[in-house]
Amino acid sequence: MPYFTTSQEWQHHSSLLLQARPTTVGQLPPLPIPTPPPPNPDTKLTQTPPQTRITTKYTITNPSSPSFQKRKAKRATPAPAPPAPSTEPPESNGVEKHSAAPRATLTLKTFDPVSGVCLKYRTDKAAEVGRLIGGLGRLGRHMAALPEVLEDTAMADAPAAEGTGTSTPVPAARDALPATAESKAQSAGGGGKKKKKGKK
Amino acid sequence: MARAHLSSDEFFDRLSVLLEAGQQKSHGSIYLTQKRLSYELDAASSLSTDKVADDPTWDLHPPQPMPVIIRATDGKDKKRRAEKVRFSTVVQPDQLAAFYARYAEVCKGGMQALKKRDRSKRKKDKAKKRKLGGEDKKG
Repeated sequence: MPYFTTSQEWQHHSSLLLQARPTTVGQLPPLPIPTPPPPNPDTKLTQTPPQTRITTKYTITNPSSPSFQKRKAKRATPAPAPPAPSTEPPESNGVEKHSAAPRATLTLKTFDPVSGVCLKYRTDKAAEVGRLIGGLGRLGRHMAALPEVLEDTAMADAPAAEGTGTSTPVPAARDALPATAESKAQSAGGGGKKKKKGKK
Repeated sequence: MARAHLSSDEFFDRLSVLLEAGQQKSHGSIYLTQKRLSYELDAASSLSTDKVADDPTWDLHPPQPMPVIIRATDGKDKKRRAEKVRFSTVVQPDQLAAFYARYAEVCKGGMQALKKRDRSKRKKDKAKKRKLGGEDKKG
């Protein structure tokens, strides 16, 4: 099952799906309307058409637990043939190496039971939770058949979050630069003192 | 799903308990589902069937806004249904905004195992820079 790479994309497609199929009507009843059903709970249940739903799954995995190790081993054995399974998030390998603490993922899934459309997005960043739930709220408005509210700041703060993400390599580069600058400064200072002494 | 829906206050209380429990167990999943609640709770389901018969796309423009149902479970399977935690709440259209504002707060507070934004590197970097600047001026 493919995942969207950005939450904006997921949000956009989910809202389109919800607008198109908020309550998906599977089979239409035969045109001559059947006699009004008796109000007993069984018929009521069968008559409700399936709705497009959004499931938010919050999963905590503990890398040090034996069950996780077993699953990892199982997954690892058939894996070697395909070099990079596309469904795995790219950062997963790096995380597994250095974290023994439990880590969590948040998976958002929009599913239309009749057409079978399934839209997914997965993240492990705590910073995204607020924005995603805000997005769920906006999708909730579609579900409730309310008119859409004006575009708020959600779009504006999205690029900012991406900016912080891309800026992470920069500090490493800065770390390297000042170190060399420091050594240069020290050597230069030393040289200056020597010259002065020589002149005197 | 024969249980009664909770009020939103109760729902948030139980949701935070559920998230907290997952945090302490340090494995497992919590499922939150939302969808339109398209039939009346009491009766009068004949209304919706009439609509379906008249117009296949009646759901695109319902006469009035509809409530949204939000469910939460801990994802226990059938075998362990007895100990399964599940509860739900119905949000009326006019309360959606307030509900989701609180929902976001509860989720942000409860989902602590997600990766925090890493600010430590940036701070260290700034401190280093300041030190360096001071040394340069002295030298």
